[in-house]
Amino acid sequence: MVGVTGVAEQLLNGLTIGMVYVLIAAGLSVIFGVMDVINFAHGELFALGAYFAFAIVAPLGGAGFWVALVVAPLLVGVLGAVIERVTLRPLYDRNPLYHILLTFGLVLMLNDVITFFWGKQPKAFSEPSILSGPVTVLGVSNSLYSYFIIAFGAVLSFGTWWALNNTRFGLVVRAGSQDREMVRNLGINIDRYYTLVFGAGAALAAVAGIVLGAYQNVNPGMGNSVIIPAFVIVVLGGLGSFRGAVVGGLGVGIIQTLARTYVPVLEGLIVFALMIGVLLVKPEGLFGTSTGEGHGESEGELLAGRGGGVLTDRQRFGLGAVVVALLAVVPLGVEVLYSEYVLTLLTDVLIWALFALSLDFVMGYAGLVSLGHALFYGTGAYASVLVLLHFTSSAFVALAAAVVVCAAIAWVIGYLSIRVSGVYFSMITLAFAQLFYRAVFKLEWTGGSDGLFGADVLYGIGGFAMELDEIAEMVPMVSEEGLFYYFLLATVVGSYLVARQIMKAPFGSVLQSIRESERRTEFVGYDVTAYKRRAFVVSGAMAGLAGGLFAVESGFVAPSLLFWLNSGEVVVMTVLGGMGTLYGPMVGAGVYIGFEEVLASYTDQWQFFLGALFVLFVIALPRGLVSLPDKLVEAGAGGGRAGTSGGPGEAPSEEAEPLADGEVNE
Amino acid sequence: MAVTDTADDFDPENEAVLQATELTKQFGDFVALDDVDLDVRDGEFRSVIGPNGAGKTTLFNCLTGALKPTSGTVRFRGEDVTRLPPNERVRRGMGRSFQISTVFGGLSVRENVRLAAQSVAEGKGQIPIHRKLFSPTDRFESVEARTDEVLAEIGLEERSDDYARALAHGDRRRLEIGLVLATDPELVLLDEPTAGMGSEETQRTISLVEEVLADQTMLLIEHDIDLVMNVSDTITVLNRGQVLATGTPERIAENDDVQQAYLGGVRE
Repeated sequence: MVGVTGVAEQLLNGLTIGMVYVLIAAGLSVIFGVMDVINFAHGELFALGAYFAFAIVAPLGGAGFWVALVVAPLLVGVLGAVIERVTLRPLYDRNPLYHILLTFGLVLMLNDVITFFWGKQPKAFSEPSILSGPVTVLGVSNSLYSYFIIAFGAVLSFGTWWALNNTRFGLVVRAGSQDREMVRNLGINIDRYYTLVFGAGAALAAVAGIVLGAYQNVNPGMGNSVIIPAFVIVVLGGLGSFRGAVVGGLGVGIIQTLARTYVPVLEGLIVFALMIGVLLVKPEGLFGTSTGEGHGESEGELLAGRGGGVLTDRQRFGLGAVVVALLAVVPLGVEVLYSEYVLTLLTDVLIWALFALSLDFVMGYAGLVSLGHALFYGTGAYASVLVLLHFTSSAFVALAAAVVVCAAIAWVIGYLSIRVSGVYFSMITLAFAQLFYRAVFKLEWTGGSDGLFGADVLYGIGGFAMELDEIAEMVPMVSEEGLFYYFLLATVVGSYLVARQIMKAPFGSVLQSIRESERRTEFVGYDVTAYKRRAFVVSGAMAGLAGGLFAVESGFVAPSLLFWLNSGEVVVMTVLGGMGTLYGPMVGAGVYIGFEEVLASYTDQWQFFLGALFVLFVIALPRGLVSLPDKLVEAGAGGGRAGTSGGPGEAPSEEAEPLADGEVNE
Repeated sequence: MAVTDTADDFDPENEAVLQATELTKQFGDFVALDDVDLDVRDGEFRSVIGPNGAGKTTLFNCLTGALKPTSGTVRFRGEDVTRLPPNERVRRGMGRSFQISTVFGGLSVRENVRLAAQSVAEGKGQIPIHRKLFSPTDRFESVEARTDEVLAEIGLEERSDDYARALAHGDRRRLEIGLVLATDPELVLLDEPTAGMGSEETQRTISLVEEVLADQTMLLIEHDIDLVMNVSDTITVLNRGQVLATGTPERIAENDDVQQAYLGGVRE
């Protein structure tokens, strides 16, 4: 039984939320359209708006809302402008991946700022009393505030649209999103406009935060929870299209609300399914203009960490062997030199190192920036635990299942996604991952929000299987954790060696040529799409193995394994270490987790410092840690080897200059 | 995908290696190519020339598969390749070079050529899947041999360990042609190989093309009419998306329409 007034009421609720989405998505979309920046921090700016409003309303009371509605967006707008000036400006010529990374760092920072000042508990401030209370229009009862949000949002959207279409500012912005270079050539300093656009977008997001904050509440997770739907809207409507943001925002708001009421099974899923569908049929979105052929080639290069500058191959191999040997003796010192915790930490590092390695396989070699790799990590973990719970206690079988299941899923997702390129690929993988994340909550056999636990793990197959502590009793000096650690170390080192072998073989050589130039690779006769898809399968399988190892070690899984922040973190580790070198991302995983650990022991605000560090990193050392020795040598030599000629034999070391070789792409 | 045995479809009476029929390409309202017919015969050196904006690059892209024509067909050795992706055309023997030399800058010179040679081996099914995944690339003898051969032909043996991006412009152009050669083409499509070169370098590149690609069937896109006069068997002149004239260099030189197009086309 669905009453007409019921539907009308839900429509109105949907419209209210939709209008909030419009305000967020409009800024996000225009920022992308003009400067190609995918701003993950947009959600935090939205949250910051709500918190500023809270801070203003709390002492002033009811009338404070109106003050907040003016002051808070201005503050956030100024902050946005500062962020653009200080952090984004140096990165405009780079691949959009670096904007994603940078703004991801900003997410960590801003989120920590919020919890530092306002704590983790939700806060509330109310709408002004004049807007509280219900009204009944045509038999449908709803709060007056709801109507206010819709009306206010509509006016603001219309105002923005008018400004884009009728002012010189809008003209430059629109021209800039068509062809930035052309605008520059006309003698217009478009960089100044960037600051304005970013600030204005941030202010719009802040307004959305304020009106929603009074409608619901204010909490530190609000940015994280709104940013992904906002991306969905922007992609649905077409990146860079204001009209698309409006239609998409209202549409998603309504669909979400209706789904929640009438088809709860699909709540949270339907929007991502919609986005995937639209991307597959019309990658440029409903209102987007076609990006034109060969768009991918004109983007800035992905800066791979060519770490070969200082060490020879042999030295590097030796260094790797030493590192593995050192890692191998760590369990022997437990309880003597340090506590068991060191082992726990290193176990964590090794699992993430494998995860990062898997991402590098597609990102660093085939140029596929997957923002949904947590999908494979989480699915691998779930597959392992499900096998352990229902079929066999053998860890080996469980891990094999993780690998096979993830390879199969990667093939399907790869088949669907790889036809779209660049940013769209990133977005579609993100959508798939969120789809899986949401689905886990809905399904009975995945344990819903509790996850699954209580799996017994045996090592061996069939009759020859034992529990780890039984084996540990037979081995002197090594604890149960130590044994698992060795098993893990062997698996990770083995995976690395397999990956390395693949990269040296014809298959890997083609992946590297794809990274250099897709177009050229196609024109020596390779099916680039097929190669990318195969690489994606290998990568998915490896990520699944990492997830499986986590599950086998901990014996439990939870939906959070599939959350997008994990995908973000693994991208961070990969770039931190240096993508395009198999060992770089593994180093990156170690450094990232190490930093997290050290910072967390000194301050509760470790996320802030981690984010700040990361922002500096993306700006100053985009090729990752592996390029650091080279940079130091270069600095030490005082630019003495700035020449461009590469005589026989000395060529590899000539290739150290990190940024100067952007011209290859021209 | 089954590779059609082109020998069966190939009509010996019709010697056209490459045959474009009524090729039209529109971008919105703009007609970049208007009903273009083009036959390139076996062993022929064909040049397509025309003033700026004549549609040369669009034609080239439609022939190689970088663009899909709005209407019309492209046949290669009798087979309709109009809808085939670029890599399939390369595997069938349509080698192509780029206007702007795009070699794999971050890879060594040798690796550049080797990748092209490896592609041929892969196309012939000479690389089984397990070896493709796990055998080091230098263990494939036929690929290695072909790589050495091509490196010698383009005279870059000495530089084979250098990164491709460390090469000077001229050498990079050589490597670019090497990449085309290594794909064992039956027809070589070259798009303005001398673009952006000084006159001396231009001469060297044209000699290179003559020297290295002498026995190939060629289709050369060029802006500079003087450059192709001595090397071409046949010249096709394109203007405003249409074929203005086709003939031997001598006849093209005497053609009034062609002179008109070139002289009339100069506006600056």
